[in-house]
Amino acid sequence: MAAEQSKGLARAREVYLDRSRRAKELRAEGKKVVGYLCIYPVLEMVTALDLMPYRLFGDMREPITEADSYLPTVVCPFLRSCLDLGLKDRYDFLDGIITCHICDVGASLGGLWDYAVQTPFSHHLDTPHTLHETSLKQEKAMVVGLKEALEGFAGRTISAPALRNAITLHNQQRALVREMYDLRKPDPPLISGVETVRVIKAIQSLPVQEGNQLLREVISEARERRDGPRKKSARLLLWGSILDDTALVEMIESLDANVVMDDTCVGSRGFFSDVELTEDPLDGLARYYLTEIRCPRTFRSRDYMEARKDYMKDLESRFSYLHDYARDWNAGGVILESVRYCDTHGYEVPGVEDYLDSVGLPRTYLEHDYTEGALAPLRTRVQGFLEIIG
Amino acid sequence: MIRIYFAGIDLGSTMTKIVILDEEGQVLASVISHTGAEHRRLANRVMEEALGKAGLGIKEITFVLATGYGRINVPFADQQITELTCHARGVASFFPNVRLAIDIGGQDAKGLKIRNGRLLDFVMSDKCAAGTGRFLEVIADALGLKVEDLGEISMRSTRKVTVSSTCTVFAQQEVVNHLSAGVALEDVVAGLHDAIASRVARMVRRLKVELDVVFTGGVAKNIGVVKALEEHLGCAVLVPEEPLFSGAIGAALIGKERVMQALDRGEVLPTRERRLEEATFFG
Amino acid sequence: MTQQTRPRALNRLKSMYALRAEVDKMYEGGGGSEEERKPVAWVMLEGWANPILNAMGIRTVYPENYSSVCAAQGLATPFMERADAEGWPSHLCGYARTCVGYSSRMVELGGEIPPEAPAGGMARPILLVGSGEVCDARFKWFQSLGRFFDAPVWTIESPSPSLRERLQEDAYERNVQFLVDELKAFVAFLEKLMGKKMDWDQLEHTGGGTTEINRLRWEINELRKARPGPMHTRDFWSAMSAALYRGAADPEGITQGHRLMYDEVKERVDRGIAGINRPEKYRLSFEGLPPWHSLGFLEQLADRGWNFVIESAYRPGRPVSIDLSKYDDPMERYVRRRYRSLDESLEEDYGPEEAEIIRKEILRDGTSRRLGLRHIREYQVDGVVLHILLSCRAASSGLNLLQQRMLDTLKVPALVIEGDIIDTSLFNPAEALRKAEAFEETMDHYRQVRKELGMPW
Repeated sequence: MAAEQSKGLARAREVYLDRSRRAKELRAEGKKVVGYLCIYPVLEMVTALDLMPYRLFGDMREPITEADSYLPTVVCPFLRSCLDLGLKDRYDFLDGIITCHICDVGASLGGLWDYAVQTPFSHHLDTPHTLHETSLKQEKAMVVGLKEALEGFAGRTISAPALRNAITLHNQQRALVREMYDLRKPDPPLISGVETVRVIKAIQSLPVQEGNQLLREVISEARERRDGPRKKSARLLLWGSILDDTALVEMIESLDANVVMDDTCVGSRGFFSDVELTEDPLDGLARYYLTEIRCPRTFRSRDYMEARKDYMKDLESRFSYLHDYARDWNAGGVILESVRYCDTHGYEVPGVEDYLDSVGLPRTYLEHDYTEGALAPLRTRVQGFLEIIG
Repeated sequence: MIRIYFAGIDLGSTMTKIVILDEEGQVLASVISHTGAEHRRLANRVMEEALGKAGLGIKEITFVLATGYGRINVPFADQQITELTCHARGVASFFPNVRLAIDIGGQDAKGLKIRNGRLLDFVMSDKCAAGTGRFLEVIADALGLKVEDLGEISMRSTRKVTVSSTCTVFAQQEVVNHLSAGVALEDVVAGLHDAIASRVARMVRRLKVELDVVFTGGVAKNIGVVKALEEHLGCAVLVPEEPLFSGAIGAALIGKERVMQALDRGEVLPTRERRLEEATFFG
Repeated sequence: MTQQTRPRALNRLKSMYALRAEVDKMYEGGGGSEEERKPVAWVMLEGWANPILNAMGIRTVYPENYSSVCAAQGLATPFMERADAEGWPSHLCGYARTCVGYSSRMVELGGEIPPEAPAGGMARPILLVGSGEVCDARFKWFQSLGRFFDAPVWTIESPSPSLRERLQEDAYERNVQFLVDELKAFVAFLEKLMGKKMDWDQLEHTGGGTTEINRLRWEINELRKARPGPMHTRDFWSAMSAALYRGAADPEGITQGHRLMYDEVKERVDRGIAGINRPEKYRLSFEGLPPWHSLGFLEQLADRGWNFVIESAYRPGRPVSIDLSKYDDPMERYVRRRYRSLDESLEEDYGPEEAEIIRKEILRDGTSRRLGLRHIREYQVDGVVLHILLSCRAASSGLNLLQQRMLDTLKVPALVIEGDIIDTSLFNPAEALRKAEAFEETMDHYRQVRKELGMPW
């Protein structure tokens, strides 16, 4: 470890650039590391067993060379990249992996990973798609199953106090993230969109307490800073599928715009609701992980038992939080992005567009390939959009 | 009497266009040249040519606005905005009632939704050559024809063939196959025009097709593509006399507008140094 | 050049035509005016909703099938282009895009069926029933149709646990209970929608009626193991439509059709007649979803002596013999009739010894190499055609791995063909046929390899 450990935003940047360093250090000290795909796996369970949760990401700058034997080119490049890195032993420091049914390819990734990468422990969560009462019961069963599997792996049981403690720590992290996001409300924001991605990716690469510490540092640093983002003409909300690299947001912020708020999964999606501390903590966990994450892979409707449907009311029930974000963070336009071949977000786009039109929020849709080269033509599109709303 | 002048530069991937306007919006000079690989140096040279035609020196230009693919490479430009906004403005200056503008350039194709001269929305296709000027260039080249002759050739067609390949390379093969099978050249060329029009029509339908529809860009000079586009869109398509200049004119007009608005507010817009670098080897 | 014309390469079953005609009834309202007056639900193809809807007096229509009808008649493209124009990304499922375009067109016409729509079109729905299983499109696509229809959307949630989970002791019972609860909620919703109560006797009839159809389909498939293969994949796909889409609405008619088909196939087996009018040089399996718009290409392969004796999609499950009398709850009977335990399936399909090996492999690795390959072995297949669908990630994701497994474990090679279920511009039959000749050499080679290894075929 360096004599003078960096802090705050500098540390976030360090971790962002060399993500696995801390996990490897801890592993050398005897701690076990459990990788997880997407934000539906129950992290509290991992933390409660004193294991380190470590989110799986791809690498936009690494050409995909090994994954072709397992996944055709017409699937999500992010997931292909994750598998590719696994096949290249970049995740050989993982002792376990939790995958879940995020989407079609994500669902098959678990099996492919077992077959080809062979991380010693693996567990797959078949998270339901809907918010029916039965689905909630099923999700609880999933959570119980995960608990038992992890206990088997760790060789010890999760005590109720340990689980409550873990929930508290993770809820603290969520609250800290929200506090950090509040710093994007002023004009200009005290923390940029690029910095936000780095911080989120960093805390998803560290044990929860270290992540919390990092967040506290970032928050206090941002409050005092004089070198924050410049004031720009446009304030934007960013919606879409996984963005685990700062490149796209960097491109947007190199123009006359600040990304002041987001609804993405390396962003607000995992942090804007808390796990309720229920009597049986598993109930609170099941409810949070099934119902509180606003990703299109979950089917939402105003009332699934309603016999009379109204499209606009349905859209409002699904997306009004975006209007709230835009209002509370004073965003004047929305950029919808998704990675090519993403079906869950692809089908969602027309509905989100209809909703944003209905509340008068200008929007534009970008599709990208999860490569750096794909970003240059998008620059003109983003700038054109800014000229329209300007 | 102090007179003010505005320059609009459209630095496209294939062609560079420069327009100089006076404060009444009259065109004093318009110049076009191949962009080539050296944007920066070229912009200077073309600017010199335009200034020469207008009888002005560089210091007399009040405001320079650059657009196009290479817009950030114009060292003497005061501002740069996208060709999306500039084309919309330029097209509206020729056809005030334009609602849909289609531009097919050397390397991309765009659809612009316009109301009262303002850009409202757009679609772009720039990932592959099919549906752009490059498509026609590549195939014309393979057939030993000049791109500017394609339009006339296709007008002789009585039975156009279908070129179904979505990829330029495969389309080329298809064309060769048709010709060896004895299909008339004009029918093949008409088929190519149909292919490019179909692809572009598909793209712009995302914006809703409403009159007036205007077509600009190098490919708009090709009467065969114009007709094919009309067929696919099911409506009349208007083409300006100088279909390549809408971007540069739009840029100059926007520059003029911004300067005038600033003057009304009692402000002067910041400008870059008015100096054309000499075209030296080490420049 | 011979004076006589050779017979067509494919030897179609007569009984198939009758069954196929059943499917057209779905669209043309050929079931009579009573059928036509019934309200319509657009449904995804899955195992649970159809008989329930039919029991509630709702006519079910399948956009998945309708899109393939459009594709087969070369009419899907305008609908897909319309979906593009409406703003749906173009990499999405071809079935979905066709349906989106159709819906948009319908709205443009004030809710009327578009005159250019083939087979009489699809009537406007009062309800959309999606499915949480098989793929994402099947619950997101109907949700996205909200722009066109205010019809409520219900997504049938059904468990799709991992193999390991399915082997857990209480998993089966828990999943049965899950399905019972979910489907009861669905019934409660339908009762609200229709303003009437479920007729449980009727459900016994529609739900039970398909049991015999499935049993017949299973038996027919067992007959297809014969050499030469008596029924070509092409016939299977045609007949499959009838069983899956019309089985619940008209159990008696469809059952009778399958009895006739069984008899016809049995006769062919007894007389050694093949599903192709050429000598059976190669026995093949078709993996993946059918290229609905280019089925004629199989005729050309048949001409080379390629007999597709089996296929991977839509296969019937082994009939379950289960004593339902001990369950009072009609919904529980309904679920148990159709939901199988993995343990039982493994025992029945592989025998106790191999089942035990597979169980161990699943517990250890999460899966087993032996799964997914049984039909290759049982039908003594020389080669496999893998149809990779560019707009269907669910169907295509597993195929690369399957190809490796087949070669490693069974020494059976695969020919990969890229295409799409709907978008014709992606499939190139000429290219596929060019590969065929080279593939024959590969199949010959591996026949030799299997022989040297002492394998049964």
